[in-house]
Amino acid sequence: MSFGPAVNAQMNEKFRYSEKWKECSILSCRQNVSVYIWVVTLRDMRRRRAVREEIVNKLVAGGLAAIALSLLAGTANAESLRVALHGQAGIDAFTPTAERIEKNLGIDVEIVEYPAPDKDYMTKLLTELAAGNGPDLFSIPSAADVADMVAAGYLAPVGAELAAWPEYADFVDVAKQLAVSPDGETYVVPYILGIQQIYFRRDVLEKAGISTEQPEDWADLLARAKEIKEKTGSFGLLFPAGVSWGGGAFDEGFSHLIIGSSTPQLVTEDGKFDLTSQGVLDVFQFYKDLIDADLMPVDPLLGPEPWVIPKYEMFPSGELAATTCGSWCYIFDWGRESRNPIPDVTNVVGTWADPGQNGGEFVLANLGAPWAVNAKAANLELAKKALLEAGSVENQIETAARIGNIPASNAVQKDPRFQALTELVPIQAAANHGTYLKQATGMSVVSEGVARATEALLRKETDAAGAQQILVDHVRQTLGDEAVK
Amino acid sequence: MAFDAFQKRKERQLLWLLLPALVPLLILTIYPAVYAVYLSMTNEALTGVAAAKPRFVGVANYLRLFSDGRFWNSLFVTFVFVVGSAIIGQFVLGFISAIALRRKIVGAPVFGAAILLPNAAPEVVAGFMWISMLAGGDHATLSKILVFFGLPYVDWLQTFPLFMVVMVNTWRGIGTAMILLTAGLAAVPAEVYEAARMDGANPRQMFMRITLPLMAPTIFLYMLISTVSTISVFGLVYALTRGGPGNKTEVISVYIYNQSFTAFQIGYGAAGAVVALVVSLALGIAYVRSLKVEV
Repeated sequence: MSFGPAVNAQMNEKFRYSEKWKECSILSCRQNVSVYIWVVTLRDMRRRRAVREEIVNKLVAGGLAAIALSLLAGTANAESLRVALHGQAGIDAFTPTAERIEKNLGIDVEIVEYPAPDKDYMTKLLTELAAGNGPDLFSIPSAADVADMVAAGYLAPVGAELAAWPEYADFVDVAKQLAVSPDGETYVVPYILGIQQIYFRRDVLEKAGISTEQPEDWADLLARAKEIKEKTGSFGLLFPAGVSWGGGAFDEGFSHLIIGSSTPQLVTEDGKFDLTSQGVLDVFQFYKDLIDADLMPVDPLLGPEPWVIPKYEMFPSGELAATTCGSWCYIFDWGRESRNPIPDVTNVVGTWADPGQNGGEFVLANLGAPWAVNAKAANLELAKKALLEAGSVENQIETAARIGNIPASNAVQKDPRFQALTELVPIQAAANHGTYLKQATGMSVVSEGVARATEALLRKETDAAGAQQILVDHVRQTLGDEAVK
Repeated sequence: MAFDAFQKRKERQLLWLLLPALVPLLILTIYPAVYAVYLSMTNEALTGVAAAKPRFVGVANYLRLFSDGRFWNSLFVTFVFVVGSAIIGQFVLGFISAIALRRKIVGAPVFGAAILLPNAAPEVVAGFMWISMLAGGDHATLSKILVFFGLPYVDWLQTFPLFMVVMVNTWRGIGTAMILLTAGLAAVPAEVYEAARMDGANPRQMFMRITLPLMAPTIFLYMLISTVSTISVFGLVYALTRGGPGNKTEVISVYIYNQSFTAFQIGYGAAGAVVALVVSLALGIAYVRSLKVEV
C-alpha cells in the first residue's frame, strides 16, 4: 500500500529532516502524518501571518513617516500659491518673479505648466475656473477674453490695490485705460503691451525695387502686396485668419484693419456690438481681395498650427514679404529668441503703421497677456500681493527680454537692462500713441465669430457680405439678438 | 411557493452580483448622459454672462444645430470616416489578416504581432507620429521617400486630409478587428469545410457559402462595436488635424469639442453630443435588430 503522490510529496517536504514517519505502521503513520501536516501548516500560516503583519506595520510606519515629512516640508512656508504658466518662454520669463514672490512674501509658489498654444491654455484655464479649482494667479493671452471672464465672475477686482501701488503711477495711460473693464473696475495688471504694426522684409523689397515707404491707405497697401507678388513671387501680405489661429485672427488680424475703417469701434455707447457696419464689411472685402489675388498664404492658415509655416518659415525665408506682427517679432519670432532667426533683424525687417482705409496711420495697442487673480483664490489677499510682483518693472523687463512685449511702465526707460533691448526702446517710448478697440462683455464671442467668418473667406465659401453675416449670426445666436445693434 | 421564494432569492443574488457594475454605470454613464440632455437645453458657457447665470433655452440649441451647416458637415465627415475606416478599412484588412493567420504561413506570429502593435500606441501619440510622416516640408518621412525618387513632396494632411485620417484610423484598428474575427473563424466547425470539400466546393464557394454565413453574427457584432467606437474617436483626429484644414476632417466628436471647449458654449456642445448619442443608439439598435445579434 502506498500513499497518494500528493501526500508523498507533502511528507517528503515536511519530514525532510526527520525519519520518524518511517517508523510507524502504515495506518497510524498516515494519521500521524495528517495531524502533523495540519500542525505544520497551521504553524506555517501563523509564521506567514506574522511576517505579513510585520511588513504591513513597516509599510504603515513608513507611510506615516512620509506623510509627516511631507507635511513638515509643506509647512516650510505656511502659505502657497498656484500659478498657471504656458510656453517655455513664459515660464523662463516668470521664474525669477516666482522666486521674488517666495522671498518677499514668504510663501511657496507652485508653477503649473499648462498647454502651450493659447487656445488650449484657455480651454484648460476656463474649465478649471468654471469647476472652482483654478490656479490662484494666471495670465490671459487675449485681451478680448478679459471682459467675459469678469462677467463669468472668475476675476477678483484689483483696482484698489493698483491705486495704492506707487509703481502703477508710472504705467502709460493707454495700459491703464485698456485694463479698465466695461463695469469701470480693474481686474488685471496691464504689465506689458502688445504694440502691433505691419512688418515687412526690407531686403526683399529693396532688391526687387519696390517702395518701402509707408503705404498711404488700404488701396496702396493692396497695390504694394500685388507688386511684391508680381516682382518677387513671394506672398505679399498676411493677416492672421481662420479658426485654428484662435484669438489671433481677431487680435492680430481683423483689429489691424477695423481701427482704420470708417467705423473704427465695434462697441456702441450702450455696450452693443456694431457688426453690421460698413467698416466691418470693408474689412472682410479687404481679406477677400487678398485671398482672391493669391497674395496671402491660405493653405497653412487652415492647418492645426497656422502660425508656424508663415511666421517661422516663410517670412524668414522671404517667401512671405509682409505680415502683421507685434514688437515680439523682433525678439521671439525672428530675433535672438527665435529658432529660425533672421540675421540683423532690425535692419532687414522694417515696419509700417497700419494704414487707414482712406489714409491715416494707426499703431495697434492691446494688453499683452495681463495677469489676474482668481476670485476664488484660497488666499485672496496674498494672491493680490503676488499679482503686484507679477506687474513689477523687473517682470516687465524679464518678459520683454524673453518674449519681446513692451513694458507698460515708463520707469523701464531709466533701467539699463531695458536700454539694452535696443529693438524695443523706441517702441516703448511711443506706446502711449497706440490705438485700441473698446472692450465689452461678449468680445470673445465676436473674436470667435471673426475667426469663423475669415475661415469661410479662406476657403472661398463666401463673399464679404456672407462673412459679415456669419459674424453677425454667430454673435446673435450665442449672445442673443439684443447683443447686436 | 418554495420555488417562488427560491426564484426571488436568486434574483436578489443576481442583483448583488450586478451591483459592482451597475453603480459605476449609473454614476459614470447614465447620469452624465441625462445631465447632457439637461445642459443641451441651457445656454451654459465656460465664460461670459452665461457662465455665471445660465438660462433655460428649451430646444433653441437644437434648432440652431440643425440650421448649422458646419454640424451637417461634421455628420457627413463622420459618416465617411466610419464607413471608410471601420466598415471598409479595418474590417476588410482585419478579416484578411484573420484568415491569413489561420493558415500555416511562415512568420505568422510576427505578422500577428505587427498588426497588433498600433494598438499599443495611445491615440495622441499615434497621431503625432503620423504627423511626422505626413506633414509637408522635406523633413517628413513620406516626403523624404518621394524626394528620393525625384518627386515633389506633398503635404498629405493638407491635400488629402480626410483620406489620411481614414487611413491612420484603419491602421490603428486592424488589430482589434483581427482578434474579434479570428475568434469568429475559430468557432466555425472544421467538419463543415471537410464535408464541403468532399462535395467538391472550391475555396471561393466555401468562403461565400460557409465562412461568411457562419461568421455573420461575429461580423455584425464587430460592426456594431466598431461603428459606435469610431463615431466617438476624438484624440486621433484632434492630434492629426484638429478637424482641419477648414472643416474637412471635423468629425462629430471634434465638432462637439470645438463648440464646447474652443467656442466655450457648453450648452450648444451638449446638444451636439445628445444628437451623436441618439445616432449611435439608433445605429446600435438597427444592427442588433437586423441580425438579432445577442449582445
